[in-house]
Amino acid sequence: MPNRDCADVTPVRHSLCLVRPCRQAKRERRSVIMVLALWKRFSDWLNSDDVAANAMDANTLRLEFQDRYHHFKLLLASNNRALELMTELEKALEGHTPFSMKFVRSRTTRIYTRVYQMVTHLEHLAPGRYKALAPTLESLHKKLESLINPPLETDLSETFIIHFSALDRRHSDQAGMKMAGLADAANHLNIRIPDGFVITAHACRFFLAHQDLKAEIHRRMQRAEEGGDGAHQFYTLSADIRGLIEKAPLPAELGAAILGGYQALTRRYGGTPPNVAVRSSALNEDQEGISFAGIYDSALNVSEDQLIRTYKQILATAYSPSVLVYRLNRGLADFDTEMCVGVMEMIDAVSGGVMYSVNPMEIRDTAVTINSVWGLPKAVVDGTVETDLFRVSRTPHLAISHRVIGRKDQKYICGPDEGVRRMDETGSERFSPSLTDDQVLALAKMAIRIEDYFGAPQDIEWAIDKKGDIVLLQCRPLQIVPSRDTTSIEANTGLPPAFYHGGTTASPGVAAGPVRRVLKDADALRFPKGAILVTDRALARWAALLPPAVAIVSEKGSLTGHLANVAREFKTPALFGATGAVEKLTDGMMITVDADTGRIYEGVVDTLLEMDHRFEDHFLMKGTPVFSVLERAAALITPLTLTHPDSPVFKAENCKTLHDITRFCHEKSVHEMFRFGKTHRFPERSSKQLHAEIPMQWWVLNLDDGFREDVVDDSFVDISNIISVPMLALWRGITAFPWEGPPPVDGKGFMSVMFQATQNKALVPTVKSSMANRNYFMISKNYCSLQSRLGFHFAITEALVSHRSTENYISFQFKGGAADFDRRLKRVVFIKEILEHYGFRTEVATDSLRARLEQHRAQTMIAKLKILGFLTIHTRQLDMIMVNSKLVEHYRSQLMERIETLLAEPAVNTTEKKLHVDTYQP
Amino acid sequence: MKILLVDDESDFRETLLKRMKRRNIDVEGADSGEAALEWLKQNHADVVILDVSMPGMNGIETLQAIKRHYPVIEVIMLTGHASMEVAIEGMELGAFDYLLKPMDMDELLYKAEDAFKIKTIHETKIQRMAKTVA
Repeated sequence: MPNRDCADVTPVRHSLCLVRPCRQAKRERRSVIMVLALWKRFSDWLNSDDVAANAMDANTLRLEFQDRYHHFKLLLASNNRALELMTELEKALEGHTPFSMKFVRSRTTRIYTRVYQMVTHLEHLAPGRYKALAPTLESLHKKLESLINPPLETDLSETFIIHFSALDRRHSDQAGMKMAGLADAANHLNIRIPDGFVITAHACRFFLAHQDLKAEIHRRMQRAEEGGDGAHQFYTLSADIRGLIEKAPLPAELGAAILGGYQALTRRYGGTPPNVAVRSSALNEDQEGISFAGIYDSALNVSEDQLIRTYKQILATAYSPSVLVYRLNRGLADFDTEMCVGVMEMIDAVSGGVMYSVNPMEIRDTAVTINSVWGLPKAVVDGTVETDLFRVSRTPHLAISHRVIGRKDQKYICGPDEGVRRMDETGSERFSPSLTDDQVLALAKMAIRIEDYFGAPQDIEWAIDKKGDIVLLQCRPLQIVPSRDTTSIEANTGLPPAFYHGGTTASPGVAAGPVRRVLKDADALRFPKGAILVTDRALARWAALLPPAVAIVSEKGSLTGHLANVAREFKTPALFGATGAVEKLTDGMMITVDADTGRIYEGVVDTLLEMDHRFEDHFLMKGTPVFSVLERAAALITPLTLTHPDSPVFKAENCKTLHDITRFCHEKSVHEMFRFGKTHRFPERSSKQLHAEIPMQWWVLNLDDGFREDVVDDSFVDISNIISVPMLALWRGITAFPWEGPPPVDGKGFMSVMFQATQNKALVPTVKSSMANRNYFMISKNYCSLQSRLGFHFAITEALVSHRSTENYISFQFKGGAADFDRRLKRVVFIKEILEHYGFRTEVATDSLRARLEQHRAQTMIAKLKILGFLTIHTRQLDMIMVNSKLVEHYRSQLMERIETLLAEPAVNTTEKKLHVDTYQP
Repeated sequence: MKILLVDDESDFRETLLKRMKRRNIDVEGADSGEAALEWLKQNHADVVILDVSMPGMNGIETLQAIKRHYPVIEVIMLTGHASMEVAIEGMELGAFDYLLKPMDMDELLYKAEDAFKIKTIHETKIQRMAKTVA
């Protein structure tokens, strides 16, 4: 049977498409098998170090580059994702926000698979070189699997309802933290809550599995996700799914269990069927999604005949438009909210409201804030009427420090049969306080007890019943929304004015100590114990300083970076994004850092240090089985034991955690990627000479997409045809200033050069045909490797610059010179000092210099590459004057001045043509 | 880039196909592992997007068959729930990556592009080797 697909494809394509009836394909298929067998040997060869000895042809080199480059980029992407996920785990480990077993499983799985991918990509970059990673990964896999896969004790229980008296925080995975926490506080602190029970997560799953309801919901969500026709789709979809849930019949056994629970409540109520409040208590999967906890509804004063319908309505709120927007925008797939639902006696409140155990705008202001109205607390929750406001200070003793009695024109009351009614208040009651002073103080006391018990500030809903007793209705961790207005805070907290305010919390806490600025490695060596590390960038290498440092302040840095992770692990307060801190804080200055609020105070602020210890060792999730699984899983995931890449223990076999493996893979992938230029010889024939109106010879090899247009029949390429971002930046530095020729040389320097030149043939730059004497670029759009030999020194610059700053990287090596060793070394140190001044990390070994810079934004990388381009040209033969300190100073200030001029100019102008580079060649 | 989407859920498959085609992506659908393998005998694909749980041949079996017959094709697995076992098994068997359903369209397409790029590079290398062998 002829096949139309075969007619116009290339012979090789036949073998790949494996078209069955095509004879040619059959013939070629045999050779494919042979080719595949050779493939591994070939790629081993490609990746071996011997490759430099075999000059490759340009196409092979291009392929090799693209292969490595692509694996490298994928590795970095997995690295970033793995670190983000680890940060989520660490946030959960703080224990202040509820999460379920599903969260632990999904995060662990995702982190593991990202790390697995990193190891695979590293294997591509350097086959067989890091063999020890595989067994480590495998053993972590086994341990994690055994931790997260056996069902929890609570998972085994298949009850549909649990009575409040039998409920505590250990049941968070069945009852949702809202109900489990409420019952836990009530049972342990002897606080009255309404009588009732919770309908479990198991019940929710059972209902959604019934008649394939869940599959249908997923199908509809998927369809909407693919439809993508604007905001209104969320309303349509939400209405659609809610209708589906509300119409679906409840499985008979579940219905019987719920009504059974209700009837038991009726019996305790003396036989009169009570009306109830029905409240959601979701198992939150997503830590950031916690904020929409408030979205889930409550239904008040529900009668018996409406109970089942209301239950389904509350389940359906998990698909409200705002929740759907959140889920679909983030592509959160396994984020199925499992909705537990509390059913509790309706408290016909005389007054009610909401209180915060601290000021929600300022965690350091510990006065309890109470909002109160007549009738049901609904009016406060909705924010519909004016309320009474009381503030109760905790020190020196509990006392009402502030009160504002609002004009309460309306109130909510229970309807006679069901539902709530809004009533206009006309009497004098509307001007009178809705709480007595004793009630205010009793409420504040309760707030403090609950806060102490859960170890975090609380947001509490309460009511006063007809007998005048306080009833706790709901409590949850308070979301602090920090205010930038500091004046009232100082007045309320008694704290001194902050010396600095800004940045974000990378690791919470308070610490005091003397400032120690660490901007380069040498600073780190002298880091004193108990000091506060102040730095411009949050580099992973500073993690080694965490045991001596008591706090970190960094001008830049990501909350998901290595340093932030380690800071949280060591519970070292860390404030990142503190712009201007390096300049404002001077070495030795005593400060107190409050990483929670982004404030830095002069001197030691004892009251603040005391506040920090309030919540130690208590937290919401502590003691739950889910939390202990997370703790054990996290111990295999998040700790970082390999901190310093130069350390002798930085080896694959020493990786103990998934974090270690990511760190190791990341470090080694950079190493493997950026030795490309060193291990791959430049193929002369395929390169193009740079046509840049300067006589000096520069050659360019396009590895991928470095040229605007292909250059086929020309041995020259014009600079205007080059779109390689790092190359253009280097080029700008190379051509920015004319070279003034060699420095004036004293007799001794000249003799030294002559002597070295006669001794060392490699230094004689006269062999015109050798590539060793050419300066050549290997480029793609975002990558550049420059090898330059100017005068007697040799430099390699490799750089990756794109809009993904986490992948950006510059590596610079500088070696050689014609003068004696001492002068060469002096020049290397001279360059090292300049580079360190501009933020490079440097290392000197004999007379060679290595400098590195990574993860800055593209604009910064471009600026730094300009500096390297400039120095490559202008440090020529400076080795000869290195014994003359006056001349050294002269050149140093001249170079720095010009670098500043270079940095001050606007972004690289690639069309600028009048470029001056001298023709002088010694 | 030619994509083959394999999923037994017709609603999911058809809407995804429609949406990908709207973005000018060359994509075909298959409703089972068996159908996918049959299709691949007659047609060419660069990337296969493969649902893990399907009646008949499941995703892992289909992946194995694809990798056995067409080693250069890159496969992206789709799973309905986070299962470390399936994800790891898939990647050990040579899947390029896995994604959770319902997934973000952009993320799926980024992954497909990444897979295609790797596939092209590997393919070119093999072609060059084939020439050398010939």
